[in-house]
Amino acid sequence: MPDIGYLFKKYRQYLFYFLALLVLGWGFTPYKTIFLGLILGTTVSFINLWLLYKKTIKFSEAILNGKKAYSLGMLSRFAYAGLAILIAIKFPNYFNIIATVIGLLASTGVIFGEYFLMFITKRNQEER
Amino acid sequence: MGALAAALAIGLAALGAGIGNGLIVSKTVEGMARQPEQAGMMRVTMFIGVGLVEAIPIMAVVIAFIALFS
Repeated sequence: MPDIGYLFKKYRQYLFYFLALLVLGWGFTPYKTIFLGLILGTTVSFINLWLLYKKTIKFSEAILNGKKAYSLGMLSRFAYAGLAILIAIKFPNYFNIIATVIGLLASTGVIFGEYFLMFITKRNQEER
Repeated sequence: MGALAAALAIGLAALGAGIGNGLIVSKTVEGMARQPEQAGMMRVTMFIGVGLVEAIPIMAVVIAFIALFS
């Protein structure tokens, strides 16, 4: 299993590719609100993943050094998601709400995708 | 009724996320305390697990906000 830093680097790479595609979609297609909503949701999802990464490292270091760790920051991640959806509700002319909600699931999709990719690669290596 | 719906959605989501995260973190801490040399692997498992567990509660938060404000 890869290191957490390596894993987060891969997730970051995929999310940046996805965001680049979304910006292209926003620039060259007439579906401006949908792509802006997706960009907003994906950005917040990316921030949430980064927060989780930082908190996980802090938490495990605290455990290994015998110190106290208080939380994994669940409330702040929920608050970020709430903020994104509040922005989408407040400015419906710019952001599509459904697209924002779909964008919020981008990091989960990336985690699933990377996991299946890792699983398939491992299986192929074992077959050889 | 919108406020009640929001409260129910966010409360039940927090309950589910709390139980899920609690199970993941307790097992990880137990494993790290037992085998500190395997801490890196457990950290990765915890990262992926918590990331996946929190997807549905985030949707519940979104539903609560939509019920409350739109």
